[in-house]
Amino acid sequence: MAARLLLRSAVRAAAACRSARTPALSRSMAAGGIPTDEEQATGLEKVIMKAMKQGEDPYNTMKPKHYAGSKADPHLVPSITNKRIVGCVCEEDNTAVVWFWLHEGEAQRCPSCGSHYKLVPHELPH
Amino acid sequence: MAHQVHAYHMVDPSPWPLTGAVGALLLTSGLAIWMHFHDMTLLALGLILLLLTMYQWWRDIIREGTFQGHHTPPVQKGLRYGMILFITSEVFFFLGFFWAFYHASLAPTPELGGCWPPTGITPLDPFEVPLLNTAVLLASGVTVTWAHHSIMEGHRKEAIQSLALTILLGFYFTFLQAMEYYEAPFTIADGVYGSTFFVATGFHGLHVIIGSTFLAICLLRQVLYHFTSDHHFGFEAAAWYWHFVDVVWLFLYISIYWWGS
Repeated sequence: MAARLLLRSAVRAAAACRSARTPALSRSMAAGGIPTDEEQATGLEKVIMKAMKQGEDPYNTMKPKHYAGSKADPHLVPSITNKRIVGCVCEEDNTAVVWFWLHEGEAQRCPSCGSHYKLVPHELPH
Repeated sequence: MAHQVHAYHMVDPSPWPLTGAVGALLLTSGLAIWMHFHDMTLLALGLILLLLTMYQWWRDIIREGTFQGHHTPPVQKGLRYGMILFITSEVFFFLGFFWAFYHASLAPTPELGGCWPPTGITPLDPFEVPLLNTAVLLASGVTVTWAHHSIMEGHRKEAIQSLALTILLGFYFTFLQAMEYYEAPFTIADGVYGSTFFVATGFHGLHVIIGSTFLAICLLRQVLYHFTSDHHFGFEAAAWYWHFVDVVWLFLYISIYWWGS
């Protein structure tokens, strides 16, 4: 009896493998009956999904972009007010973080390593 | 929408943690009262309160995630970490009972006859119902994976069928195990053999019932179109839990049923 059960589940698994190999031409409610995020996502999840499609990240879900930190290529720090706290890890694996307020206007330099930081005002995403 | 600059979910105030804590208190003290004074009132009250809490708390999570869209990618990541940590804690829970079993069985005391199984104990034949149970759970692992792929590929009917089959296999296991418990020639009171056997397999059985319930909720949600082909973490969490239950059984089977016989 156990052998019959095992055989049956093996046959089912083989069938599933076969159907999995053929790519679904279109995944949507119309095609298979399970909605996609495109059709059904809502709220903040939908906003973030749409923004990601345009290549934007209004809610800072991704790692910040990498900048050289030089005068010509300063770290761009987004902010919804006119100042933001910056924590500079001057060298990789440094355990002492250098904290300072970054104000609107000209780029400031880290008091320890001299990297340039520039505040970039942003609108609060609604 | 909330005026926030981050993608996380600041949950609204909720009474369910409090009702859950009170329910757990009543359940545990009720258990003690029932054992000593044979009165089930407190126990029943605690159980009802806990069940109501679970229903309403998880209902609210579904509302927040599926209906309101609060489960953004970072939030989902947090939920994944949470489920993994919870399952890890359950692994340690079972580890304790396996420790007890191996402590008792690797160096059986003179009171047991210096042997394992102890003198007078007729263990269950591992190649009868326990082997069938192993096949049933392994098959259910296949069907739950089938269900997952069906969801990801957008096949509604297949997803519902394979998920239902998984749950049926879970019920079959529970039924077979219940029959074994009824027919067993030894009881929990039969020395350390009985204790280790029934506590370990008993807690496993409880987890099978919990896992089957979780999967049943997922089946209901799948029928109600909650899951999308990319976002269905509730189902994934249930599948992870189910695989964990399956793995625990494999260890139980190898250690207690097979090696221990």
